[in-house]
Amino acid sequence: MIYRNLRFALNSAWQSFWRNLAVSTAAVLSITLILILAGVNLLVGHAFSQVLDGFREKVSEISVNVADGTPLQTVYDFQQQLAADPRVTSVRFITKDEALAQFKADPNNVVLAQQISGNPLDAKLEVHVAKLDDVAAIDTIARRWSGVDPTDPTNYQGDFVNRMLQLSAWLGVAGVGLLAILVVVSIVIVMNTIRTAVYHRRKEIEVMKLVGATEWFVRGPFVIEGVMTGLIAASFALALLVIAYQPAVERFRADVAFIPLSYDPAFVVSLAQDLLIGGALLGALGSYIGVRRYVKI
Amino acid sequence: MRYTARDLATRALWRGTSQQESHLMVLTPDFDTRPVISFQHVFKTYPTGTEALRDVNLVVPEGDFVFLVGPSGAGKSTLVRLLIREEKPTKGKIFVDGVELGRMKRRQLPRYRRKVGLVFQDFKLLPNLTIYENVAFALRVHGESEHTINARVPEALDTVGLSGKENTYPANLSGGEQQRVAIARALVHAPRFIIADEPTGNLDPATAWEIMQLFLRINARGATVVMATHNREIVDLLRRRVIAIDAGQVARDDRSGRYHDDLSKPQIRAQ
Repeated sequence: MIYRNLRFALNSAWQSFWRNLAVSTAAVLSITLILILAGVNLLVGHAFSQVLDGFREKVSEISVNVADGTPLQTVYDFQQQLAADPRVTSVRFITKDEALAQFKADPNNVVLAQQISGNPLDAKLEVHVAKLDDVAAIDTIARRWSGVDPTDPTNYQGDFVNRMLQLSAWLGVAGVGLLAILVVVSIVIVMNTIRTAVYHRRKEIEVMKLVGATEWFVRGPFVIEGVMTGLIAASFALALLVIAYQPAVERFRADVAFIPLSYDPAFVVSLAQDLLIGGALLGALGSYIGVRRYVKI
Repeated sequence: MRYTARDLATRALWRGTSQQESHLMVLTPDFDTRPVISFQHVFKTYPTGTEALRDVNLVVPEGDFVFLVGPSGAGKSTLVRLLIREEKPTKGKIFVDGVELGRMKRRQLPRYRRKVGLVFQDFKLLPNLTIYENVAFALRVHGESEHTINARVPEALDTVGLSGKENTYPANLSGGEQQRVAIARALVHAPRFIIADEPTGNLDPATAWEIMQLFLRINARGATVVMATHNREIVDLLRRRVIAIDAGQVARDDRSGRYHDDLSKPQIRAQ
């Protein structure tokens, strides 16, 4: 019986979708538009989080400058002490020579490197901290260490890190807020579109109820039609986004070079999942609400 | 020996009845006075303040054939709507087959509607379904198997004389034929009551008479029929039970009545 009802609902949804093609097209287009907006939001959010992750990676590593003349043993002890700290993921010791080599290797420093005589650079400990929030604590430990260079102890910039943390928190909130607004708007649009479709078929619904159909029997085809509409719209939106994603990223990178945006093909899979599930749910929910008024026996 | 018009009509009907009375025959005529429908002090006032029914008391025994007559706006349609539970009474109780409609839960309603066959003035067929599918629809809604549908739909179409038109769409049928489809749909699940609201209202007299014959046959097989109508000719000819509603009240309830009890009013006599 459930199988029979399901088959009836599927058949009737399929027929109704094609029979009311104008209304179906309107519904598909409006959901497509909404999903494109949602998809762009997701992509931009993802791109920014990638950029932020890049910054986090950088700021969660601090260099502790070692004062000239500090015994090597003291440095090693401190390196071990830091490595034993659970908040620290890795500590690397860079000698004065290595630091100089690194400095010279950087193409930005070519002119400066030619003017250097001797080695003015400190040896340093590069400390990689697991969580951005713990960087300040590690920095405090490093500044108290006896072997630290008192004129330039570490490269930690607390202010900058704090701002980054704030910015990323705000971006997260904004993204979620935008997504929530999009969801509400799209449910209203889908609901109204499907209500139009339902209005066209109110006679059929009336007859269904008069011959003894249950509410779910009447509602089923509409909800399935909504899911179908949502899935088709999601496919369109996904296709457009996938086509536009890479060129858009490249264009952005060309125009705004200082933000290291990158193209991430792996994200497309998760985007596809989100859009298809989102589309299906939107369609189903919109239909469910849209049909409710007419279905009430 | 003189035959009444009703006797003649009934005889004519039985001659016309097809030999293979199939599952519809399971409804054995039972003219015993077990009430299937009873209205007890029913009042209905709409939210607008219109008093549609006032203290209506009725008993309809199983197998009865009842005409509801009365001027437009008298409350006939309200009575029908109460019977199919599209509306609830404001006061009073309505029992159908021992169940009080006013206390019936919403989810029990589909099951109740399946016990009732409904026929309307405007047929209420689905224009995008064929005749066969329109009738099958009533069974699909109940989740019946294809096997049952394939057996019962042709039978119901045969009963109403529409065999061979299975694949036609309602728009290509005459009014009388469309009403036959609606009756086939009302019959296909072998209901115990048929409620008809002006079923001949849109039909010419000859067609209306054909449709009436169908209802009489259905009634002769045992189904209780309640029919709201304005068709004076048919009511006067058949001399069945007539309940006249006027200004929301039962004005008259005659066992073998006429459309008007006042003979000074113009009426067509059955000759």
